[in-house]
Amino acid sequence: MAQTQAKTKLTLSLILIVGVLTVGPIVMLLFGSFSKGLSAFGSFTLDKYIEAYTDPAFYEVIANTVIFVLGSSIMATVLALFLAYLNNRTDIPMKFMFRVISIIPMMIPHLLFAVSWALLLNPSNGMMNIALRNVFGLEDAPFDIYSLPGMVLVEGLLDMPVAYLIIAPAMASFDVALEESSRVFGAGTWRTLIRVTLPVLRPAILASFILGLVRGLASFAVPSVLGMPGRVNVLSTYLYQMVATGFAPDYGKAAAVGMSVLAASVTLIVVYRALTAESEKYVTIAGRGYRPTAIELKAAKYPLFAAMALLSFILIVLPVAVLFYTSLVPYSMVPSARAFSLMSWKHWIEVLEDPISLLSLKNSLFLGVAGATLGVALSIFVAYVIVKVKTRASGVLESLSFLSFSFPGIVIGVGFMWFFVQTPLYATIWALLIGYIATYMPYGIRPLASAFIQVHSHLEESSLVCGASPLTTMRRIIIPLLIPGIVSAWILLASMFVRELTLSVVLSRPGTEVLAVQILRFADDGLWGRLSALGIIMILISTALVVLATLIGGKLKAVEAGG
Amino acid sequence: MEIRIQGVSKYYVSGGKTIKALDNVNLTIPANHIFTLLGPSGCGKTTLLRCIVGLETPDAGEISIGGEVVWSKERNIAVPTEKRGLGMVFQTYAIWPHMNVFDNVAYPLQIRNTPKDVIRERVAKTLAFVHLEGFEKRPATKLSGGQQQRVALARALVAEPKVILFDEPLSNLDAKLREETRKELRSFLNELKITAVYVTHDRVEALALSDTIAVMREGQIIEMNVPKKIYFDAQHRFVADFIGRANLVKATVRGQEGGYTMVDCELGTIACERRDIPAGSEATLCIRPEFIRIGRGEGGGRNVVNGRIETLIFVGEAYEVEIRVGGELLLAKIDSDADLEEGSAVNFSLEPAHCLLLSI
Repeated sequence: MAQTQAKTKLTLSLILIVGVLTVGPIVMLLFGSFSKGLSAFGSFTLDKYIEAYTDPAFYEVIANTVIFVLGSSIMATVLALFLAYLNNRTDIPMKFMFRVISIIPMMIPHLLFAVSWALLLNPSNGMMNIALRNVFGLEDAPFDIYSLPGMVLVEGLLDMPVAYLIIAPAMASFDVALEESSRVFGAGTWRTLIRVTLPVLRPAILASFILGLVRGLASFAVPSVLGMPGRVNVLSTYLYQMVATGFAPDYGKAAAVGMSVLAASVTLIVVYRALTAESEKYVTIAGRGYRPTAIELKAAKYPLFAAMALLSFILIVLPVAVLFYTSLVPYSMVPSARAFSLMSWKHWIEVLEDPISLLSLKNSLFLGVAGATLGVALSIFVAYVIVKVKTRASGVLESLSFLSFSFPGIVIGVGFMWFFVQTPLYATIWALLIGYIATYMPYGIRPLASAFIQVHSHLEESSLVCGASPLTTMRRIIIPLLIPGIVSAWILLASMFVRELTLSVVLSRPGTEVLAVQILRFADDGLWGRLSALGIIMILISTALVVLATLIGGKLKAVEAGG
Repeated sequence: MEIRIQGVSKYYVSGGKTIKALDNVNLTIPANHIFTLLGPSGCGKTTLLRCIVGLETPDAGEISIGGEVVWSKERNIAVPTEKRGLGMVFQTYAIWPHMNVFDNVAYPLQIRNTPKDVIRERVAKTLAFVHLEGFEKRPATKLSGGQQQRVALARALVAEPKVILFDEPLSNLDAKLREETRKELRSFLNELKITAVYVTHDRVEALALSDTIAVMREGQIIEMNVPKKIYFDAQHRFVADFIGRANLVKATVRGQEGGYTMVDCELGTIACERRDIPAGSEATLCIRPEFIRIGRGEGGGRNVVNGRIETLIFVGEAYEVEIRVGGELLLAKIDSDADLEEGSAVNFSLEPAHCLLLSI
């Protein structure tokens, strides 16, 4: 039939496009790692591997990376588990706070969150350090955020919301009868928790832990702001320094190191997918009907509530407050009457008159709007094929489109670099645009795939039976039902592109600066006031987009519940 | 309109094996008839319905509706679904969630570019017909299951198609509502001059609604008849078993005698409704539970069998009794006011007209 043929053609052309976007940079990375240099692409050598893996500094970086990644992921998972348990199973007051904790931090870009901690706890003039030194009359700063523990703390806090979003649903759908039967057979609360609750939740806990590892491995914001000043390098900053600093950027060596980072990340994502499939299996087994009886916290209720309130303060209020304060005072100082009297809009005016800052704002807005539009357009077709065309080829497309989920931004940036240098796209804004879409495609496909799943094939078929042509069916039935999904995918992509950092630091060149790169440059130069002003502008843009996404997401759910 | 299906086959390939969803189906559905395709899940009944409406393409054969060929492999004809002018009620109802009741029902008319005031009038008339007057402005998502079902019916009827197709339309309703809706649907369909093709796996639905039932198994229609004939006089063991509860007893034909066919079985020698089966051949004796009549010692008559009550279960409107006769355990349905006890010996008589002999 003609229709089947058209679908096969569509599937194959999408595999080609998505394949070029996701496998392309990996292939280039692979070839690059065996090449003599950017200009000598194609003359093969093993030198870069030998050079990269015999460097003693490399092993120190590996050790740092392992501690950073494991530490931050354990911290995020344990915190999330604790919060999910408090929310679902205890009588802690003000439960809506948990929703806030799990969503709001996503509006604050990681880069700015890390910067706010540097402003508070850096050893030379961190506000909290100065305050503590004054109060207790100390010689040295009590805390040093420019250290491995500091990085673990901040990255752990940043990854906690994602871990929570994985663990909380598993906890909520947990069948309490499993626990109750353990109690009936004589086990106490603690024993039940250890022997029944945690083992049943194991797939979700492991999934969140592994996703934490992937995010930690890919993380660049925290290591660059908190690690590089104290010369604590992890793989992402090590790669960054190879390509972006010094006189001779070595893209070959970076590609050679990048290959192992990529391999590690892809392996972890494969394990993650297997685990989430398993945890869904657990969830479907769970019975329903009974609401879990809330465990009374009694005396522990208010201390635990206070801990949670403190956590939300640290996650949400503190970073924004610190940045806003810093944007108004002339130089780093502890809040005081004098500080307030010196406040002015000086930094804001400087930023708004700085041509490069304005250029970066313009570029980021362009990338946000154009990138999200093109990304969503591509995602609509990919999601359609994944959900509605169930052939082996569409399975290949699904795996391909999920692949970039596991791409550490810096590594894939190096891969793209090898690619773009061979094309006239090098050092243009289009290079960034293509890189963004390729790397963040899974985030566009996911909301659209669930929108397509919502459009049951009977809705489409019944329109045909009523006499409507396929085109009319598309216009009157399918598109209207997809609109909420399209809008939320667009906003999600736009808000991610506006604050994109890791890919941009590799691909951005003079003239194609973006907001996050400009902020990082201010951080390198110690221009904290301007950084904060520009940062607040970035938060405002991305918050507006996330708020819109949440509102539209809520509307989408309402339709689902009704249908 | 008459629907004619000739030599239609449809294959699926699954796990390297070819599955015959439809295996050379030949069928004529007369005009203005309520025709039911009945069978267990996976028998091909929904596939056949979807081939008629054009949502599936057969691999062989020819389908014509009211004299017009809508699909033919040999002649390379394939009228698309939207050009076939049919009405259909889906199992999920397929009510579009982004439209209100009016827009859902008006849709087929809007597609046909009917003038606005005619649409309004026809929608109001159709909604009144399905007892949904005044629901026009209601969002589709704010309807109960039964109401959605009636909106789906209204949408299928509004353009006055000559053929309407039902794909298990009652299976998503709860038991009580299902019974009410079934009665309603029967009276709706009786009022209309329309050909209805109805797919279900529910035997009560099929018996209550249909003019004709076709029982399907493994992609083939194995028996087709009016409901009473299917129930009382099935030709196939599978059909007799599927259409109602039945005691199936192995029997050997002894011969014809006085207008009856006599068989030997565990119950003794039984006179059955006459069937032309040669003496000495194996057959199956089918006895429906409601026709086992427990006598109160008066005896006499034909086909009197002695047995012992093994279990006795009170289910409200009746007793369900298991009676042991030799190696056979027979299920019987007895009035709930009967005075019976577990373990007691009973005799019962079988009307030869209700002793159905199946050759297969």
